[in-house]
Amino acid sequence: MTENDAQQEGLDAAEEEIDEEPAEGAGPAADPADDVEPVDEQSADADEPAEAESTEEDAGPTLDDDVMSDEEADLLIPVEDYLGAGVHIGTQQKTADMERFIHRVRTDGLYVLDVSKTDGRIRTAADFLSNYNAEQVLVTSSRQYGRFPAEKFAEAVGARARTGRFIPGTLTNPKYDGYIEPDVVVVTDPIGDAQAVKEAITVGIPVIAMCDSNNQTSNVDLVVPTNNKGRKALSVVYWLLANEVLDKRGAEPSYSLEDFESMV
Amino acid sequence: MSSTDRRETRSCVSCGINIAGTNAAAFKCPECGKQIYRCAKCRKQSNLYECDDCGFTGP
Repeated sequence: MTENDAQQEGLDAAEEEIDEEPAEGAGPAADPADDVEPVDEQSADADEPAEAESTEEDAGPTLDDDVMSDEEADLLIPVEDYLGAGVHIGTQQKTADMERFIHRVRTDGLYVLDVSKTDGRIRTAADFLSNYNAEQVLVTSSRQYGRFPAEKFAEAVGARARTGRFIPGTLTNPKYDGYIEPDVVVVTDPIGDAQAVKEAITVGIPVIAMCDSNNQTSNVDLVVPTNNKGRKALSVVYWLLANEVLDKRGAEPSYSLEDFESMV
Repeated sequence: MSSTDRRETRSCVSCGINIAGTNAAAFKCPECGKQIYRCAKCRKQSNLYECDDCGFTGP
């Protein structure tokens, strides 16, 4: 978070909850204490967001509001863990593409993603990835908070990762030293990883994308609706995806959530 | 089956157009594994696709 964020007031300040990624090269990342505490999302009102946040930290995450359409859904992890990581928190913008994954809109204008759909899509994506050889899967993340989880995911399932800047030609230029020919691409954010998506289209391979409420799903073949801006949210989603992929293969998932949480 | 016949079966799951050229995607249904083809236009416009076998709706 930048210093300017601290001065934010009103509705925008509530976005601090999701521990959004700092700008590139903006120095040390936000204190983990600033992370998501969606205990009382309704009360994170415009007047005193800082005070509201401090009281939330003491209470811990609770299921105080509805975050999914199917209350009886059998989730991979308890819904409180999803809420604690802020996986359900979207943005203040929404796209028509993502409307079907949005459960409701909060009073502060943030769209809330349907956690049961996120959970279901993680399973679906794991099913999808298990159709491919592990080394033929490419994971990309230009987003800083997604780099460590993406690399860890690649390590866990034996996939390849390209984090940071996606060098143009990686999928399309055989003369480039780092040229690879994956069979499927997993991107952390279709906006940030636009180059990877573009090259995946050119070579005709399917694209799985972690999409937030403000993403367009153009040229995406499988959407995983999630908060793709939060550090903890990305860690949780990649961790669950890795565990599910390993589970589908019959391997024993040996990674804990802490392994996927970067200290950056 | 000749190569021509094989091409005819490659129709977009959303719009039904025969797939030709690049930018189209072929993959197995994430739910049931049935082969799915999406044409470049439907991918770009993010048209919904539905698996004939299991009813999975994507993207």
